[in-house]
Amino acid sequence: MILHHIQCSPTQSSALKTCLRYIAPSDSILLSGNAVNCLLTRVWQQQLQPYRLMLLHDDVVARGLQDRLSAYKQIGYSDFVEQTLTHKKVISW
Amino acid sequence: MKKLCIVFRQGPHGTAHGREALDLALLSASFEQEVSLVFTDEGLLNLLNNQSPETIGAKDYIATFGALPLYDVDTILVCQDSMTELSLAEVDIKLEVEVCSPQRIASHLSHVDEVLVF
Amino acid sequence: MSKFIIQVNSPAYGSASSYSAYRFAEAALKNGHLIDKVFFYQDGVLNTNHLNSPASDEFDLGRAWLSLSEHYKVPLVNCVSAALRRGVLSQTDAKENQLPHWNMEPPFIMGGLGELVIGIESADRLVSF
Repeated sequence: MILHHIQCSPTQSSALKTCLRYIAPSDSILLSGNAVNCLLTRVWQQQLQPYRLMLLHDDVVARGLQDRLSAYKQIGYSDFVEQTLTHKKVISW
Repeated sequence: MKKLCIVFRQGPHGTAHGREALDLALLSASFEQEVSLVFTDEGLLNLLNNQSPETIGAKDYIATFGALPLYDVDTILVCQDSMTELSLAEVDIKLEVEVCSPQRIASHLSHVDEVLVF
Repeated sequence: MSKFIIQVNSPAYGSASSYSAYRFAEAALKNGHLIDKVFFYQDGVLNTNHLNSPASDEFDLGRAWLSLSEHYKVPLVNCVSAALRRGVLSQTDAKENQLPHWNMEPPFIMGGLGELVIGIESADRLVSF
């Protein structure tokens, strides 16, 4: 059970695309920084739909996206820390 | 001793990612860690023959990949899908590697202790 | 209580990742965990440039790292070869390279990649930013 940590939007970096090539069904994805932006697009909404997905709350609020992304689970830094421990490892792509 | 996997995701010379990934790989191996490497996306281009990095003022760290067997780094996985995407063949690659499926790489990532992506 | 090692690979300014690393480190310590060290590699070494001068109304990440180290005694370690290539030098490095200036001060210290590897070996979790 891996926590995949993505910090860049897929328009900036292939991190998210590469992560999806190697992700297992029991893994989770945490989007932080500009990575949260991808959920505004239908393509990425669909691609990420099968996975346990979390967004870093402060990054969503900072970008004024809280209403648009309210359907997704959002966590704070304290939770982020604990998620890295409940998962077996963290891969920052 | 931990199992460390270093992932090369970016092409060589345009940024320092490949060089600094290789530095860490060799150093970790010399510190008696069980080191494995994964090459995906343009990271595969680190392994091409006939590179001349000096042409663009970059250091030829590519030659240093040849030292990996001396450091007992034996598990070197290359993603078949990336290879196809980049129209590369096994003969283009200068190291002895295992070209494998994304599933094989996924299972490798789940078995090691830590993964560092460059 | 768990032990973390945090790796910072992005610059202090121009990328949000280093700030995120700082917030993560702070949250881990507040949750009662230990941090073996914060290790600066790649462009992360630019966090340790003492000459970074953000405007007075901006978040000062350099100062934030210092106060974290002061409050929780977290070692802040630079990869020396990554730092030298990017123009980040301690007083000792300046002397060795016959340079009149340096821009890295304690509590930031220079170390080798070996310190990252040893840290990973002893920590429960590596988290990179």
